[in-house]
Amino acid sequence: MAIEKSNLETAAQERDEPAGETNSNGVLTVKNITKRFGPQLVLDNVSLEIEKGKTTVVIGPSGCGKTVLIKHLIVLLRPNSGEVYFKGQRVDNLSEQELNEVRTHYGFLFQGGALFDSLTVFENIIFPIRQHVKIKEWRDVEDLVKGKLAMVGLDGFQNYYPANLSGGQRKRVALARAIALNPEVILYDEPTTGLDPIRSDVINELVLKLKRELGVTTVVVTHDMTSAYKIADRIIMLHNGKIVADGDAKQIRNHPHPVVQQFIHGQVSEDDLAILRMSGTISQAQFLPRDFEE
Amino acid sequence: MFATIGAKTIEDVGNIGQFGRFVGQTAGSCLRSLWNHRTYPLIWTQMHIIGVCSVPVIMITGAFVGMTLAVQAYDQLAGMGLEERLGVLINISVVKELGPVLAAVMLAGRVGGALTAELGTMNVTEQIDAVRSMGTDPIWYLVAPRVLACLLLTPFLIIYADLLGILGGHFVGVTHLGINNSAYWSFSASGVELWDVSVGVIKGIFFGGAIAVISCYKGFTCREGAQGVGQACTEAFVASFISILALDFALAVAFKAVYNTFWPFKSLVG
Repeated sequence: MAIEKSNLETAAQERDEPAGETNSNGVLTVKNITKRFGPQLVLDNVSLEIEKGKTTVVIGPSGCGKTVLIKHLIVLLRPNSGEVYFKGQRVDNLSEQELNEVRTHYGFLFQGGALFDSLTVFENIIFPIRQHVKIKEWRDVEDLVKGKLAMVGLDGFQNYYPANLSGGQRKRVALARAIALNPEVILYDEPTTGLDPIRSDVINELVLKLKRELGVTTVVVTHDMTSAYKIADRIIMLHNGKIVADGDAKQIRNHPHPVVQQFIHGQVSEDDLAILRMSGTISQAQFLPRDFEE
Repeated sequence: MFATIGAKTIEDVGNIGQFGRFVGQTAGSCLRSLWNHRTYPLIWTQMHIIGVCSVPVIMITGAFVGMTLAVQAYDQLAGMGLEERLGVLINISVVKELGPVLAAVMLAGRVGGALTAELGTMNVTEQIDAVRSMGTDPIWYLVAPRVLACLLLTPFLIIYADLLGILGGHFVGVTHLGINNSAYWSFSASGVELWDVSVGVIKGIFFGGAIAVISCYKGFTCREGAQGVGQACTEAFVASFISILALDFALAVAFKAVYNTFWPFKSLVG
């Protein structure tokens, strides 16, 4: 194998364990993190530990801070206060240069895929490989890309540009790119948003397949409960920047917190209904032809 | 009111600090890129997009500058019987001032706008975050090649603009206004020194660097949505344009001081 072994084949095993700073058993740990954007408090003293080899799903309504939380796990965002640990090493205080090495242990699937639209599918997938692996034989790289694409069911699409792919295909290519360096942790930001139920299920099956075959630790942010129940070992619910529920699918289904029940059943709250009732009828809000007459 | 002024001042100081940090990171990445052969293909690609593809528009700009100067200046010079010195006036104006400045303004529109729009779109579609998430420094990967391409090729583009400006002025002066060809060139040669050409070309390095850094910064910090990208492009062009004019003035003062300092020793060298 001409490609350097270090990053591709036995990456997880070969990497040195960073000097431990916590006694935590989790791969990822966040301790008391708070994040503000201007006056808006998005994460309020959140603490969380992600177990190795498990799939943790973070649910919650839109705007509750799910994406902000997952971006803190890979330190794309830094907390105003609190700490983030990866395998016992504190990472939120590292420089961007030091973080570049840490981030090779992660794969991140962005909500919209975030494929480089000026590059082909092949070039997108080899991007992280080019940055971190010494390539001696291009044939091996081609085989590797073929393998990654076959894993997500898209072998043969190497020369396509992202603009020529459907939404589901883009997400699958982005997933192939995310697993290019055989990461130990894969983070998924809304993997099924914008997809039809069948395509969503394809993504769910892929998440399960990657966990089964690669043994990766998985964190998924979603508000799709069908997806959450199917893939989760553990479900965490965020509401107004705080964790309001934490447990397996059964515990979440039976959780006593009314916000959790409203969310998992997709029910509007009484407060929201009251606002809708007070806002008048739709006909009152419509323009009538006479409004435009002089 | 005091609160508003205070908040605005704090925001502006923060922005200046952020820009300064971006410039520092870019300078560091550019230096590292020069010794890293993996960056060369990226620089090469940007040199094609920024440099080669700009040649036609820069040449057209230069040619029209020269031709317009000839038409405008001819009557004044002819009134004093100095029409044969038209070439000196056109060529000194073109190589020292108008060629570099107008070529840079054209680049700020063509290249700067494209850089901001491209990086801004990458920013709002999380492509820059994707670069970071894969353990790659986005300033090294995205900004340094663009800045280096601008720094290296803007002086050459200015030479193209100068050349076409001189030829455009000659075309109108000799062919249409009937100035004697050999007199035109002989006065031009006696009036334009290598120093004048060098001043214009060196200005190009500063202009190119300013356009690239400002445009990339605006792209990296642009706000969400189509309106955010559009606004970033507008701000990038305005900031680049003002920077070109300010740099032009500062460099004119500096070069004049250098010229006056070394002028007495010129005869020793030449």
